[in-house]
Amino acid sequence: MDRIVQQLNEVMDHLVRFDVLHIGPVTITSTVINTWIVMIVLFAAVKLLTRGGFHEKPRGAQVFIEMLVEFLYGLLEGAMGKHGRKYLWIVGSLFVFILAMNLSWFIPGFVPPTTDIMTTAALAITTIVLTHVMGIKEKTFRGYLHNYVSPVVIMLPMNILEEIVKPFSLAIRLFGNMFGEKTVVTILAVLVPVVLPVPVMMLGLLMGFIQAFIFTLLTCTYLATQTHGH
Amino acid sequence: MTVAGLFAVALAIALPAMTSALSQAWATSKAMESMSRQPEAAGDMRTALLIALAFMEALTLFSFVIAILLWTSL
Repeated sequence: MDRIVQQLNEVMDHLVRFDVLHIGPVTITSTVINTWIVMIVLFAAVKLLTRGGFHEKPRGAQVFIEMLVEFLYGLLEGAMGKHGRKYLWIVGSLFVFILAMNLSWFIPGFVPPTTDIMTTAALAITTIVLTHVMGIKEKTFRGYLHNYVSPVVIMLPMNILEEIVKPFSLAIRLFGNMFGEKTVVTILAVLVPVVLPVPVMMLGLLMGFIQAFIFTLLTCTYLATQTHGH
Repeated sequence: MTVAGLFAVALAIALPAMTSALSQAWATSKAMESMSRQPEAAGDMRTALLIALAFMEALTLFSFVIAILLWTSL
């Protein structure tokens, strides 16, 4: 029993971020390095996929990219109609980035950046601030403030509370799911190292897709409430 | 770590997980029912269902984070 607990502690220590180097007051942690690795891979992949140029009749990688874009257009149009298409840049980059970070789990020995709450908190705060900025841009500052007192003035504290809770729930949802999944697989791998962790890892693959999808879906919904009122 | 502390951590994750699993099951079964009754509206229902499930899931995850905090502070 003690051996297992010790083993577990060793493996769990591997999951926690550590400081790599200091540049003045800024500390670069292992999570940041991992995020950079994911970003480099993503940039390289995008460069390779778009190398062929644009074809009127899609072929090769363009089919794949068009499928992705159609899927995201579907999400946006479901939330705010034809008008929503112009927000593709927010939703699309979030989806691709989070998906890449979640699936980086399958690189052996790699700790996915989304198992660190700092990454997800940064993503969530950026997203919520962006939705507010888009709301102000779309409806002017007056209309944006009017959002808080609609439908009636009594709802003001509720609306403010909702805006504060949004980034927390986004961050903790992504972090909790990815970290929980990773922890379960780790514990299973320590207890039964053969075969048993594989189906749970398959579930992790599905979870990576679903969490990226949920994050973008909620971003769409928040964008819709900010830009089109309640 | 005391036995009472262990129980506190275990219950902090177990009870919310149980209740949110029940509520998710209820929501999903209702959505499935209406999807099979009206297959042409299945797309809208799936989106609404996923958003609802995400909100229910969030409660479990909050308690998961609280359980981790409890565990590390004990």
